[in-house]
Amino acid sequence: MFRLPIDAESFPLGKGPMVMLILFLISTLFIFGRSEEQGEDIEFWIFANTHYEEYQARVPLFEAQNPGVNVQLINFGGTMHDKLLAAMLSNFGAPDLVEVEITSIGRFLKGAIDEVGFVDLRPRLESEGWMDRLVVSRFTPWSYRGRIFGIPHDLHPVVLLYRDDLFKAAGVEMTEVETWDDFIAAGKKATRDLDGDGKIDQYAIVLDRRTESDYFSLLLQQGGGFFDEDGNVIIDSELAIETLEFFTALFNEHNIATPVYGTWHGDPSNFAAMQDGKILSILAPDWYVGILKSQVPQMSGKWKAVGMPAWHPDGRRTTTRGGTMIGITKQCKHPDRAWELLKFTYFDRPGLVNRYETTRIIPPLKAAWDAPIFKEPDVYLGGQPLGELFIQLAPDLPPRYQNPYWSEAADLLNDAIFAAVTEKQTPREALTDLAEKVRALMAKDMDRWGEM
Amino acid sequence: MNRKRRTNLLWNQQQKIAPYLFIAPFYLLFVIFMGYPLISSLVMSLYEMRGFQSRIFVGFGNFTDLFGDPIFWKSLKNTAYFAIGTLTLQLPIALLLAILLNSKFVKGKNFLRLAFFAPVLVAGVFVAIIFNLVYDQRAGLVNQEFILFGKEIGWLNEENYVMPAVILTGVWQWAGFNMIYFLAGLQGIRQELYEAAAVDGANWWQAFVHVTLPSLRPVIAFVVVVSMIGSLQLFDLPFILTNGGEPADAGSTIVMYLYKNGFQFMRLGYAATIGWVLFFIIAVISIVQLKLLGIFRDE
Repeated sequence: MFRLPIDAESFPLGKGPMVMLILFLISTLFIFGRSEEQGEDIEFWIFANTHYEEYQARVPLFEAQNPGVNVQLINFGGTMHDKLLAAMLSNFGAPDLVEVEITSIGRFLKGAIDEVGFVDLRPRLESEGWMDRLVVSRFTPWSYRGRIFGIPHDLHPVVLLYRDDLFKAAGVEMTEVETWDDFIAAGKKATRDLDGDGKIDQYAIVLDRRTESDYFSLLLQQGGGFFDEDGNVIIDSELAIETLEFFTALFNEHNIATPVYGTWHGDPSNFAAMQDGKILSILAPDWYVGILKSQVPQMSGKWKAVGMPAWHPDGRRTTTRGGTMIGITKQCKHPDRAWELLKFTYFDRPGLVNRYETTRIIPPLKAAWDAPIFKEPDVYLGGQPLGELFIQLAPDLPPRYQNPYWSEAADLLNDAIFAAVTEKQTPREALTDLAEKVRALMAKDMDRWGEM
Repeated sequence: MNRKRRTNLLWNQQQKIAPYLFIAPFYLLFVIFMGYPLISSLVMSLYEMRGFQSRIFVGFGNFTDLFGDPIFWKSLKNTAYFAIGTLTLQLPIALLLAILLNSKFVKGKNFLRLAFFAPVLVAGVFVAIIFNLVYDQRAGLVNQEFILFGKEIGWLNEENYVMPAVILTGVWQWAGFNMIYFLAGLQGIRQELYEAAAVDGANWWQAFVHVTLPSLRPVIAFVVVVSMIGSLQLFDLPFILTNGGEPADAGSTIVMYLYKNGFQFMRLGYAATIGWVLFFIIAVISIVQLKLLGIFRDE
C-alpha cells in the first residue's frame, strides 16, 4: 500500500499547514498542467457591447450550421485593445478573431509589415470576389502597404442632423442649404440671443475643438487627410490649413459654433444642451444617431437630417467618422473556420439587416442595401427614412488612409486644433508645427531602423 | 532498519527544507510578478521596440529623448501640481475633519465619519463621470453657484482650470480616507499629555502645536508619503475626467503619458524609461519626506 514519506502528526506545525501545502500543489498542477482543449474552438474578442449582443444572438446559428465548432465570444469592453496588444507582444493568448476600433489599429501596424499580428485577407477577398461587393474606400483604414488586415464592420457616413423647428423659427429652410457658405449664412440667422441678455442662447452647430473628430471629418470630406496613401504627412497641406481656418472661423469669426458641452459629443451635458435647444445641428455618423436614440429618446421627432453641406456646388455631401474592423490573428489555430465565422457575422444579409435595426449602422455590403428596412420611415427623425439617406451617401465616402503613426499624430492634432481655435497659434502655425513634429518622429525611426 | 534510517534522514531533511517551502510561494510569486517585470522593464528602457518582434539597443537614448520631450515635462508639471495640491489642501482638510470628528462637541460622529469616508468606496471611474457633470461649464453644479457671481469657468475646457478641477475631485474622494488615519492617530494620543499642557497654561492652539502635531508625527509621515506616492501615480481620474488629458495635455500626468506611449503609440522602450524615471522621482521624494519628518531619527 502507498504511504506518504511523512505523516500529518510529524509535519511541521501539524495537519493544517500540510493540507494547505497539498492543496497548493494540487491547484498548481491543475493550473499549469491543463491540457489543450480538443476540437475547433474559435475565440472571438469584442470591445463593443452592441456588437457583442448581436453576435450572441447569431453565433448559435453558426454553431448549428457547423457541428463540432464552438465559438467563444468574449467582450472585454474598452480594455480589449490593450489585452490584444499584450497577447500579440507575448506571442501567446491572442484570439482567433478580433474586432479592432479605427483609432487603435495604427499601433498594431508598427514594425516590419511581416510582423503585423493579423493575417492578410486580400487573397481570400479577391479569390472569393468580395472586393467588388463591398465599399472599396472602407478598406483603406484597415490596409497598409498593400495588405488588408481587416474587413470593415461599417461605413459610418456622416450627415447633418438639425432641429428643423428651430431653424424654421429663424427663417431658415435647411433642405436648401447645399454648401458650407450656405450654412454660414443660415447659421448667422439661427444663432441667436433669445432673451436679450447679450449672451447667445442657441448656436447653429456644436463642434468638438478638443479633439480631431469634427475637424478631421471636414478634412476627409474634402479628400484630405493626415497621411496620404504612401504614408507621407500631408497635414500641413494648403487644403488642411484652409480647412482649419474655416473650422476656427466658425467659432471666432462667424460665431455660429459652440464648443461641445462636456468632453465629447456623447457627453450627458451635450445631450442636456440639445434638449434645452442650445444646439441646432451636429455632424452625425450613423452610430451617433443610435446613441441619441438610446440616450435622449425624449427628443424623438425633433431632429431631421440632410447630407453635409458641400465645399463647393455638387461637391461631396458626406464624410466618415469612426469604424471597426474584424481581423484574423496570426495566432489563429483554425484560420479557415475563422474566415467562415467572419463571413457569417459580416457578410450575411439577414444579420446586417438586424444590425441596422438595433444600432442604425449601415453595412459595407452593398447587397444588403436594398432591404426594405433601410427605406422605412424613422420615427426619431419625424418619419424621415434615414437609412435611405445614409445609403444614398455611402458610395461617395472618402478614403481614410491608415498609418502606424496615427495614434501619435491624432494626439498632437488634438493639441493643434485647440491651439488654433483658442487663437494661441494661427491654423498655419499649428499645422506646420504639428507636421514637423510627426515628420521628425518618423525620421528618427527611419534613422534607427533603416525603414519605416 | 534501513527503513528507519531513511525516515530519520527524511525527518532531518524536512526540518531544514520546510521553512523554505513555506516561504517559497511568496518568493515565487514575487519573482514572477515583480522581479522579472522589474528587470525586464529596466532592460527594455535601454532598447527601442519596433512592432511586436524587433528591438534595437539605444543605451540611454530613451532617457535623453525623455528629458527633451516637452509633453513629458508638461505631464511632470501637472503631476507635481496635483501632488502639491494634495499636500496643501487635501491633507490639512483631512486633519481638520479628523480633529472635528474627534471632538466631544460634535454630534453624530459615526454617521459623519461614514459620510466622509464613503467617497473612497466609489470607483475612480464613477467619480470621474460624476464630476464631469459637476464641472460642466453651463449646467454643472459648481458653475451654477459661480454664475451667481457672474462667472462661468470652463473647468474641463480651459487649460488653467483642468488641474484645479482634478485636485478638488481628489480632495472629495480621498480626504475622508486620510481622515481615518489621522483619527486613529488622534485617538492614540494620551489624554495625560493634554492635561499636563493645560496645567502648564497652554491654550488650545499651543496644545495642538506642541502636543497633537508631535504625537501625530508617525501618522503624518505615513499619510504624507503614501499620498505623495499615490499622487505621483495618478492616472484614472484625470484620464476619464479630461478624456485622455485634453485639452492641450492640460490634464496629462506622468502615468498617463507612460500609458499612451506604451499602449497607444507602441513605444514600449520609451514607456519603460518613463516608468523608471517615475520610480526614481518617487524614491527620492519619499526618502526626503521621511528624512524631513524625522522618521530616520533615533529617539
